[in-house]
Amino acid sequence: MTVVRIGAAPEAYEATGLYFDGDTAIGDLARVTVDEAVRALKIARIGAPPLHWPLDALRLLPDQGGGDLVILHRRDDPVARLILDDALLLERLPDVRRPAPLVNRGRLAAWALAAVASVALIVFVLVPALANQMANFIPPEGERALGAATLEQIRGALDETGMGQPVAFCETPQGRAALETIRSRLAPGLPAGQEISVHVLDHEMINAFVLPGGYVVFFRGLLQAAESPEEVAAVFAHELGHVVSRDPTRHALRSAGSIGVLGLLFGDFAGGALVLLLAEQLIEASYSREAEAAADAFARDLLLDTGIPPAALGSFFDRLRSTYGEAEGFLAHFTSHPALSERILAAETDLPPGFAARPVLGDAEWRALQTICN
Amino acid sequence: MPETSAWEKASPGAGGPALATPAAAQDAPSHTEDWPPRGSYASPSPPDSLAIDFVGRRRAVFWLALKTGCLTVLTLGLYRFWMKTRLRRWYWSATRPGGTPLEYVGDPYEKLLGFLIAVVILAFYIGVVNLALMFVSFSLFQQNYAAYALSFLGVIPLWFYARYRARRYVLARTRWRGVRFGMAPGAWGYVWRAMMHWTITLLSLGLLWPRMTFWLEKYRTDRTYFGNARLTQGGRWTMLYRATWPLLAALLLGGLGSALALGAGRGEGYTLILAAWGLAAYGYVYYRVETTRLLANHKSAMGLALTARPRPFRILMITVLGTLATALVLALPLGLLGFGVALVQFAQTEVMQEFGELGALLAALPRPLLVALGVALYFAIFLLWATFTHAWVTMPTWRHYATTLTIHNSAALSRVSQRARDEFQEAEGFAEALDLGASI
Repeated sequence: MTVVRIGAAPEAYEATGLYFDGDTAIGDLARVTVDEAVRALKIARIGAPPLHWPLDALRLLPDQGGGDLVILHRRDDPVARLILDDALLLERLPDVRRPAPLVNRGRLAAWALAAVASVALIVFVLVPALANQMANFIPPEGERALGAATLEQIRGALDETGMGQPVAFCETPQGRAALETIRSRLAPGLPAGQEISVHVLDHEMINAFVLPGGYVVFFRGLLQAAESPEEVAAVFAHELGHVVSRDPTRHALRSAGSIGVLGLLFGDFAGGALVLLLAEQLIEASYSREAEAAADAFARDLLLDTGIPPAALGSFFDRLRSTYGEAEGFLAHFTSHPALSERILAAETDLPPGFAARPVLGDAEWRALQTICN
Repeated sequence: MPETSAWEKASPGAGGPALATPAAAQDAPSHTEDWPPRGSYASPSPPDSLAIDFVGRRRAVFWLALKTGCLTVLTLGLYRFWMKTRLRRWYWSATRPGGTPLEYVGDPYEKLLGFLIAVVILAFYIGVVNLALMFVSFSLFQQNYAAYALSFLGVIPLWFYARYRARRYVLARTRWRGVRFGMAPGAWGYVWRAMMHWTITLLSLGLLWPRMTFWLEKYRTDRTYFGNARLTQGGRWTMLYRATWPLLAALLLGGLGSALALGAGRGEGYTLILAAWGLAAYGYVYYRVETTRLLANHKSAMGLALTARPRPFRILMITVLGTLATALVLALPLGLLGFGVALVQFAQTEVMQEFGELGALLAALPRPLLVALGVALYFAIFLLWATFTHAWVTMPTWRHYATTLTIHNSAALSRVSQRARDEFQEAEGFAEALDLGASI
């Protein structure tokens, strides 16, 4: 017999394969040939009629170990398999590496979308709503305990030595006394029974924050950046505004609810990094614009009542802006503070008639406060 | 002239299919001696036992793990469902009972969906239930340990639930010779049994540990199927006590050492205590491997039986040496990289201005770049660790367990037929969300 080749007709292909029909666990020896006329793979078996698998419906199982076997299946048949021990056939099968989805991915996508929406609902609606309610009902002792626990977490998170050493409190006796002077000066403006503890952390960040239960915390950086005790008192008054409105309690409860959920979403790789990032955000305490405006308004009234010019708040923020710009470096991503300028406008009000400013601290006391960390 | 293929041996009359001549099908040489593997197709005298080959190479799994791991990092973890699927396909297909590979047909999309479903439920749990627990804990006890404890207790049942569901999913997506494995539903039954057995084990100070090992494995095995063949776990729980001797010896040695060190004040006591800890580590591995072996030897399905011969010392050495090698390989480059990052961090301080141009250059590096470098380093450690342990721990362990297992009475396979697909859209979402995924 003579084989006449015309054009680029491929050579005849023949191989011995092992066929599994997807029903029994015993395979069939198969003689596998390519029928170019009908573009099909002919699988001849003993004692069964031959099968014809269209060449363009053949798919290859991916990621196979060993690399010696080629396992083929029909795109529309989830179970039957043909195993060959050489890869010669593959070059004749252009579609063999295309995907052959087993499951309906459209439906999967719909479910996935619904799942993501539910998580968003829990994190952004349910948890905040619940936290707001709980903040109204938590007893004062519970609130203080929550604040104390959060303060410890923050001190640990700010550690820069990498040794797990919490950031130190600054407490020279003279510095503490000066701080106490400011505290008692502002105390009359607080609701009865509201406890206030004030701390200074030995850290260069120019910031101050409040925690549940009346914990007001200054960073060393802020005390050093301030040019007068009035400016520190003004920031103090602003933070007290948050204490009175219980913003930090809502905030702490809310983050307690959502940090874990977000950590969950990102598996072991990114999860750890994410939780660290969120701890940082906790310090930056991003309250809503309304909450900030309310705290500014509270601070203005409190300062006027206690004989401190409210413009100190404005001048301090103004100087911070000219030194550091509207947003302070990349930390700005985490701060949703309203643009400083708005707050300055809110603080620069006309003084009421009969207002007499009294100094907050003497020179020696002010020096003691600025060097409280030494 | 081409060599005779198995097909031609089976059908000597060239042309259309004919009935096999048994003698020819078995004895004549073929162009690949072992293709198709004996016992994988019908033959009047099938081999009695089927050995399990493992054909995967370290290099292959290393590159696959590295490639998919990089993609996982680049996609913020999203690709990990694809990574896991691809690695499983690789491991499964390299494992060949009787020469025919296992097949893993799990789909990454269903894993992603299952994970999202689990996240919704866990988000509710973590977000709302934990918040409520914390509120109650702070309100009533002024601290949060009560909340942590209760929250942890609440996760325990979920943990067992996730383990059972994950096993069911993996079995439902595993095939051999085109026939599906499967596991009957029963996760909640597993949860309460597991909790009960753990309580009994803890109350008995660990003396009834083998009892738990046996009954939990029996619960899982008796619900496992290969096609229509149901597996049965035979044997008795007391047979597992022989796997505890190194642990008991460690206890004895530790007791003796303590008595010498504390009672008689002799220095040799501390040496004995140290030796006891080493023996206990071996004892733990020995217990795990030996119980697996004993339990496997008492499993059967429709007349099929198993013989397992894994060696505890080998498994211990693979784990210890593989982990050590990984740590050594990672320590050098990452140490250097870490030192570099630390140097640049240090350069940001004013001290470096003294070091002239280089100092000034380093000091000028933007902080976000440094943060990015630090984050990249953090991911690189995770990625390389996972990749190297695949090549040096997971794969060799898997290979040892596979190649020391033999299937007996393979003629019974002719009675096995297919089972229906277990749709199971939740996949192994809970195990993934709770980080029980282990390595493979």
